[in-house]
Amino acid sequence: MKFTIYQESRIGQRRNNQDRIAHCYSRDALLMVLADGMGGHLHGEVAAQITVQYLTEHFQREARPHLDDPLQFLGSGLANAHNAILDYAVERDLPDAPRTTCVACIIQDNLAYWAHVGDSRLYLLRDRRIHTRTRDHSRVQMMVDDGLITEEQALHHPARNRVYACLGGDLSPQIEFSRKTPLLAGDTIVICSDGFWSPLGNEALVQGYARGSVMAMTPQLMDTAEKLGGEGQDNLSVVAVTWEDDYSGDPTTMTIETQTMPLNAHTTLMEGFDKARLRDTELTDDDIERAIAEIRNAINKFSK
Amino acid sequence: MPTQQTNHPLPPGFQLDRYRIERQLSLGGFSIVYLAYDEDGTPVAIKEYLPNSLALRADGQVAPAIADEHLGAFRHGMKCFFEEGRALAHLSHPNVVRVLNFFRANETVYMVMQYERGRTLQEHIHKHRGEIRETFVRNVFARLLNGLREVHAQKLLHLDIKPSNIYLRTDGNPVLLDFGAARQALRTDGPMLKPMYTPGFAAPEQYKAPEDMGPWTDIYAVGASMYACLAGGAPQAADKRLERDALQPAEKRWADKYSKQLLQVVDWCMVLDSAQRPASVFVLQRALAERHHVVHEPSWLDNLGQSLKVLLRK
Repeated sequence: MKFTIYQESRIGQRRNNQDRIAHCYSRDALLMVLADGMGGHLHGEVAAQITVQYLTEHFQREARPHLDDPLQFLGSGLANAHNAILDYAVERDLPDAPRTTCVACIIQDNLAYWAHVGDSRLYLLRDRRIHTRTRDHSRVQMMVDDGLITEEQALHHPARNRVYACLGGDLSPQIEFSRKTPLLAGDTIVICSDGFWSPLGNEALVQGYARGSVMAMTPQLMDTAEKLGGEGQDNLSVVAVTWEDDYSGDPTTMTIETQTMPLNAHTTLMEGFDKARLRDTELTDDDIERAIAEIRNAINKFSK
Repeated sequence: MPTQQTNHPLPPGFQLDRYRIERQLSLGGFSIVYLAYDEDGTPVAIKEYLPNSLALRADGQVAPAIADEHLGAFRHGMKCFFEEGRALAHLSHPNVVRVLNFFRANETVYMVMQYERGRTLQEHIHKHRGEIRETFVRNVFARLLNGLREVHAQKLLHLDIKPSNIYLRTDGNPVLLDFGAARQALRTDGPMLKPMYTPGFAAPEQYKAPEDMGPWTDIYAVGASMYACLAGGAPQAADKRLERDALQPAEKRWADKYSKQLLQVVDWCMVLDSAQRPASVFVLQRALAERHHVVHEPSWLDNLGQSLKVLLRK
């Protein structure tokens, strides 16, 4: 396998980052995953963290170095992540399970497989066009599908953040799976949270990635998204990979070559885990002191 | 459901940290607010975290009694109180109440806020019932929305905007008060911390679909508060409107008195379907500012009518 990959997660204008991203590969398979913890719900970032962590661990167990059935892997991975979130909620006696969206993609044998829940998206870009993308599990996407509003109107619709499917929560998740999709050299797969695609729009996203490599363009497009998002900018995260099946790729780009990897080796890169201490719901005296110190600090800082 | 208990406030003259309690200003389901003075004699408002379903302070006592089985919920609510403090501490906006200090005492926590002089919008409405002018409504809400925009930028929803939580400083500048409902309302299924909503101002999703809450939820309350300015009282409660909507649209009710544009904005904010309301404060502000120049200005004919009315009254 040969590919160029880039991932980044930014906080936007929010107080904390509830997005989690990771990619992970063995000699024969690549996993990319993104989860966007749902803000209105408690511990959204915990749900996102559990999901990403669960899927990467699941990958390391199963990809040795080949996955037997990538779609089955995604299905059991997401379903078990959902259960892990519920277990967390039960263990901590949370009255409401935390929730997250998720999009995950496996590439193996030049074939891509993906699954998603909610409004985090996957784009497959080919020949400077959207070859295919996921359909959000959101009310506005339903309205678009029913022809009630246009894609453009959906970007500004008040209900655009409301998703009807997620991991965690009371209902068992409705996971949507892709077909087995053959990849061509030069294809780019982008998985991203709504903080990225929503301010940017499809057109700018396609044109941006047509201008350069995922390494160069992803940070630039994130800058643009943040500019467009303004003061309400949500967390934004992207994992973008360009598939390079041939050897004509520019040798200066950081291409990853997995052929030389040992059969049981995995490389995992996760972002945001240092900030993502799993917070306990039990508030200890120390926590109270810390919270008060933090608030006083903010008061002093902002009163000047 | 636990029986409702009443908490006794700390007595006047009580020395609380570096503040001396003057008197109790208000008593809510989650907290007591006091007027107090600091060592320089500056008045402050101090909010004491004291959810009355979980912690009970008997007359003459200082620390509240908390049953063991309520300790978890009490601490959870404290976290919400911290959230409120944290969000407000990051906000420095002339139209949002200012947090000055935060401390722990008496086995609970306290938030010290700037004490504002003036009166609430509710008092103003009562005093000037039916005589509130369009310029007043526009001036108050334009500035209030600046503050609310900051609140939303901090990812905080107020969830209890109403005329009694909007304070008019003596210079007329509004201040958004009492963020007590903010985080607590996000938890609905715990019996211990029930969400609070004020009938007439709470949006339908606060009753029915808390997972649908967003900036538009506060926007409903802003619309209802504007409506209350025009009507002189609270509009029909959203849960009742869902059963049978008897709310007369502002555009119909006051067509002869206020500009069509203002009335349309009020009605837009109060649409029952949250998805149809202005999605953000920014959108609402833009709608309010739009075509502001064509706002109905009194013409000589109106002036004549006014003079006639005045003459007739005499």
